[in-house]
Amino acid sequence: MLFMGLAHMTVLRQRYKGAAFALVEIAFIAALPYLIRNIIGLITLGSPQPGLPIKLRDNSVFMIIDGVLAVATVAVFLAIYAISVRGAVNDHRAGVQNEPPSARKQLTAIGSRAFPVVGLAPTLFLILFFVFVPLVFSALVAFTNFSSPQHLPPGNTVDWVGFDNFVTMFGGNQLYTGALVRVFTWTVIWAVLAVGTSYFAGMILAVVLHETKFRIKPVFQAIFILPYAVPAIVTLLIWRSMLNGAFGTVNKTLMELGLIDQAIPWLTDPTLARFTVVLINLWSAFPYFMLLTMSAMTAISPDVNQAAELDGATGLQRFRYITLPLVTYQTAPLLVMSFAANFNNFGAIFFLTNGGPNLPDTTATGAGATDILVSWLYQITVGQLQYNYGSVIAVLIFLVLAPFAILQFRRTKAFKGEI
Amino acid sequence: MRLDKLSSIIWRSVVLVGCVLLSAVVIWPILFALSSSFSPGRSAAGLSTVPFASGFTVENFAYLFTQTLYPTWFLNSFIIAAATMLGTLVIATIAGYVFSRFNFTFKGSLLTSMIVLQIFPSFVGMIAIYVLLNRIGALDTLWGLVLVYLAGNLPYSIWLVKSYLDTIPVAVDEAARIDGASHLRIYATIIMPLAKPILIFLSVTTFAAPWMDFIFPKLVLRSAETQTIALGLISFVTDKNINFTVFSAGAILVSIPFMIFFLLTQKSLISSLSAGALKD
Repeated sequence: MLFMGLAHMTVLRQRYKGAAFALVEIAFIAALPYLIRNIIGLITLGSPQPGLPIKLRDNSVFMIIDGVLAVATVAVFLAIYAISVRGAVNDHRAGVQNEPPSARKQLTAIGSRAFPVVGLAPTLFLILFFVFVPLVFSALVAFTNFSSPQHLPPGNTVDWVGFDNFVTMFGGNQLYTGALVRVFTWTVIWAVLAVGTSYFAGMILAVVLHETKFRIKPVFQAIFILPYAVPAIVTLLIWRSMLNGAFGTVNKTLMELGLIDQAIPWLTDPTLARFTVVLINLWSAFPYFMLLTMSAMTAISPDVNQAAELDGATGLQRFRYITLPLVTYQTAPLLVMSFAANFNNFGAIFFLTNGGPNLPDTTATGAGATDILVSWLYQITVGQLQYNYGSVIAVLIFLVLAPFAILQFRRTKAFKGEI
Repeated sequence: MRLDKLSSIIWRSVVLVGCVLLSAVVIWPILFALSSSFSPGRSAAGLSTVPFASGFTVENFAYLFTQTLYPTWFLNSFIIAAATMLGTLVIATIAGYVFSRFNFTFKGSLLTSMIVLQIFPSFVGMIAIYVLLNRIGALDTLWGLVLVYLAGNLPYSIWLVKSYLDTIPVAVDEAARIDGASHLRIYATIIMPLAKPILIFLSVTTFAAPWMDFIFPKLVLRSAETQTIALGLISFVTDKNINFTVFSAGAILVSIPFMIFFLLTQKSLISSLSAGALKD
């Protein structure tokens, strides 16, 4: 089976299927020189050509992307090849047909078999180009010296540097290593606090609203949903203005009420700023968990609570022994995913503090006091053009979050053998 | 019995006071934005701490519609969000159906890679996305942005749909197949109506995210006519609160439809949350 589709056409007499596979192979062979050139480009990344005008010089970034695309194309071709071989072998085992299936029968079979192929094609295409290739690209950049000012295409080329960037970030350079340790620690603390505070606040609120028979309960519930309804960017920018140290409404109001004498530096003191971002996140995130708990509680049969009440259980006991375990059981997996989401919660930091306030190393490393890994990644690439270090951070995020993805995967039925 | 009643009254008053205080904290920034949108002047610094005490004017709204491209931004954001939502719904449900009902080579590996891919914030790959969009002439266009959102949404959405469809018994579609219905027909007329809760959940989440996204519009959209609401609003308040009152006016206008939508759909929101988020 040197040539795809041959077996289908000759032995198995599936003319149309065979022809389709053969077409794929012809296209692949036609593209082969181009693919090979791009893969070589991926290895060399071009050479500096100071003599040429900038437009004609080798552009290492394009070469990496084209190389990754070429490798992806080869992988897709190999996958199709494997599918073709497996299909042919299966059909062969099923018995070489004594009579070739009629053209009409073949076409109907293809029509029915084509549904999954056609259905998945747009998905695979989009994910390959706009998710997979970009991610592989940024992972590769971590092993290059793609950075300002020395190695910035199109003027200059980029070279492979092995693990140099990782060495710099993990111990080699005091400034960067210090910033990395600080930002990483804060990211973990932030994610835990952000999820923990809003989860418990939301749950307690839902239970209290559920247990207390107010006539105006719907009013409160409607009010408490509001932060969920207002777009996050809007609320964060409003809070940023309100918390401004000099003329922010929060400070002015507290002063007018006589609660404080001097302005509180909500967003300008490093420690207080960290506290503030968690607080504001609580403001905007508790409604989600409140709704979630309410939704989980609707699943608890009222009989259980009534029975407990008859047995003389107090409200607190019912919460402790019935509601809490059941709700926690249902929502706990979501906590894990929320942790992952907050680990990457760019907006909550960027729009409120922009990563600030500045610390001694901020000018050099780009990492402010409230910066988490993703917002630092943004700052270090967009602001400082240190793409290589940014990619190291991206790889780090991957290493931290991948276990969570796998955890979620293992929970699902798919893993338990239902694929 | 009397003690019981007393403690119940105390409990209720504590809850009432707590709820009122919390309501105040929740409403405060919203009220502040509302009042500043009707306040004269531009900066936030001059505003009174008492809502609506700084005077009343609709000048900020007038400014928004005459001096800026606010209606265009609004339309752009709407087009992007709606197209992303519709695209995700169609592509993700078909793919989810295929993953749930068919067996094929590499199915397991494809599903695994989806779950790994969905943990990344897609802007990690923004340089490559920029170059790729440039190649296909999609820079500074709305459809280019939609493509990026669509691709980013797919892994998680497909996984969600697949998990939900797995809970619908296969017997349902097998019965239809015996009656001679095609896959497309089964998907469209039998499975999709059954999957309504997950479709609602997907619609809300895939509309809301691109509607107010910042990073990708900032990366992809250049010209004044292609700006989105988020970009426009942020341009009013970057660094100094120069145009805070205008920002508030724009922010209020954007938020009102959402608030009404959420308040009206509270009930189904709660039930679709349990369909989308709680079940896996």
